[in-house]
Amino acid sequence: MDARAPRHRLSARDLEAILGVTTALAQPFDLTTMLAEVVSAAKQVLKADRGSVWLYDPAQEELVLEVATGIPALRVPAAAGLVGACAQSRTVINVPDCYADPRFDPRVDRASGYRTRCMLTLPLIDHRGVLVGVMQVLNKADGTFDAGDETLAAALAAQCAVALQRVRMTEALIEGERMRQELAMARDVQMSTLPSVMPALPGYDVFGVSRPAEETGGDTFDLIPLERGLGVVLGDATGHGIAPALSVTQMQAMLRMAFRLGADLPTAFRNVNDQLAATLADDRFITAFIGVLDPHGHRLEFHSGGQGPILHLSATTGACTSYRPTSFPLGAMPLANLRPSVTLDMHPGDVVLLISDGVYEYHDPDGRLYGEARVEAIARSHGARPMAELAVRILADVEAFARGASQQDDVTLVLVARAPATAVRRFPRRVDALPALVAFTAAFVAAQDIEATLLGPVDFAIEELFTNMVKYGRPGGNEVELALARIAGGVDVALTDYDVEPFDPTRAPDADVTLPIEQRTPGGLGIHLTRRLVEGLEYRYAPERREARITFRKTGESVEPGQGEAR
Amino acid sequence: MLTIEAGGDGVVVLKGRLDAAQAANAQGFLDRVSGTVTLDVAGLEYISSAGLGVLLKTQKRLMASAGKLRLAGVSPHLRDIFAYSGFDQLFEIEPAR
Repeated sequence: MDARAPRHRLSARDLEAILGVTTALAQPFDLTTMLAEVVSAAKQVLKADRGSVWLYDPAQEELVLEVATGIPALRVPAAAGLVGACAQSRTVINVPDCYADPRFDPRVDRASGYRTRCMLTLPLIDHRGVLVGVMQVLNKADGTFDAGDETLAAALAAQCAVALQRVRMTEALIEGERMRQELAMARDVQMSTLPSVMPALPGYDVFGVSRPAEETGGDTFDLIPLERGLGVVLGDATGHGIAPALSVTQMQAMLRMAFRLGADLPTAFRNVNDQLAATLADDRFITAFIGVLDPHGHRLEFHSGGQGPILHLSATTGACTSYRPTSFPLGAMPLANLRPSVTLDMHPGDVVLLISDGVYEYHDPDGRLYGEARVEAIARSHGARPMAELAVRILADVEAFARGASQQDDVTLVLVARAPATAVRRFPRRVDALPALVAFTAAFVAAQDIEATLLGPVDFAIEELFTNMVKYGRPGGNEVELALARIAGGVDVALTDYDVEPFDPTRAPDADVTLPIEQRTPGGLGIHLTRRLVEGLEYRYAPERREARITFRKTGESVEPGQGEAR
Repeated sequence: MLTIEAGGDGVVVLKGRLDAAQAANAQGFLDRVSGTVTLDVAGLEYISSAGLGVLLKTQKRLMASAGKLRLAGVSPHLRDIFAYSGFDQLFEIEPAR
């Protein structure tokens, strides 16, 4: 309390008035009503003509005048004027003649046309010592405020502070719950616009998936069947709360409309950008990849507003090329000059990976980023698999990387693969068919521009597995099918034997290559070497069809024989 | 943590991490600058999309009155972020010396 004035005793009448106020303030009012009640109580108890309550906003370090009779709302820095001085010192300030006090700010009077004579300014501090605001009462009915009024006001202020703080906290809780519900609804709308069925496009495998984060995020993706092919969209709106969910949904609707009306890519991109620039808040934008896939010309033309990296895995070379955006994020500004779009040639087996930053920027518990290199590695090793499987593998790898770290942002993947080039032929189950198998394989490798040095190990493995089939299969039975497929940096091989008993040569034990020469036999060495020359050697038997299939792949990254021996 | 302060001659110095938690603080400061402003980001370790939003809003406001925001001391890391987000097309960027 103020040390300058001796503490005045409250009279029985004063106490009664304050108790009456306390009872009134215990009502479950909303904030506006409570402020009005507090002001009216202060005016009554202190016989003042007017009163006002400034609420303290600690985030902005400002005092906010929410209610004052006949005066509009006002914000001032928490150190300005008499209210500021009171907030800083947390003591009652009694000014008998305001216009003689340099701390008095006459602007409020000028705005209201009222003339403030004397004023009592007191801090509202709740029971835990938290500053809730500052109360001012003006122009005592019969003169100026005295030391008795100061004591009375201080007692009243404590009650008001507690009541106000209670209402503020209750309202914050209610507001929080309301926001949570609205956010959940907006997120539901956002997620409901995602394609639930992947479009079937001959010669292509397209897959998209989005995993929303708990709280915020603004990812979307879309696969739009068009007369000229497929519209491919991945978008990520900035910001927290409901706004990003709404803006990506809006962008998606605009794009669908633009494409449906026949707009070409640059026109659609430019118009959606300019429309978003006109409607989005100044600090909001959407990063988006917008592409049109031509499944006949095998080209993917795209514009990217700030969405990247865009990864293109070449099946021919096994290399991953990372493309940067062609423009700034959508809605950031109207487009003055749009750079030319980029067109990717989709060769057989090529994969384009569009992945939101929720993947690239996933943090593990030590704060490390998941990054681009991990995605590329999985793409190279599993780019020949169905896109749904590739997506699952990437998501599983992110999860393993995270080691339980929570998902902070939406995670969205859109994967587009052109079917790999394949060649299939059946050969008689006879050893003398071998040259035909070798010629068939060599022709495929040459036609598909597969690295020629891979041919040796592939031939070796095919010969080993084929002769096994001849040896252990039924003589003069069905033909053996050889299927070759172009994959990233190499070739995928499947040999299928029909109407046979199960026999898995891949389970044969390794030859003991450490034995002295006299104890070595050629048996088992073929499989031993095959295992080391190619990757992913796998045997599968389908009993209902009596069908045995052995698959393997060979890429430039396969283990070399010398290294294999060393392991 | 983020510090933002005037460095004289129309230069504003940003240091630390400009993330969602610091965006309002930075916006409050940048809302008061005018004309052509050079943002010295040599000491800026990290910027999130919320931070990019702050720069974008400021750029739009300044450009509306023939001013602009220039970025100086842009580290290779920030440069990548600007390139990846296409923001290098919206701001004049001066690399770190």
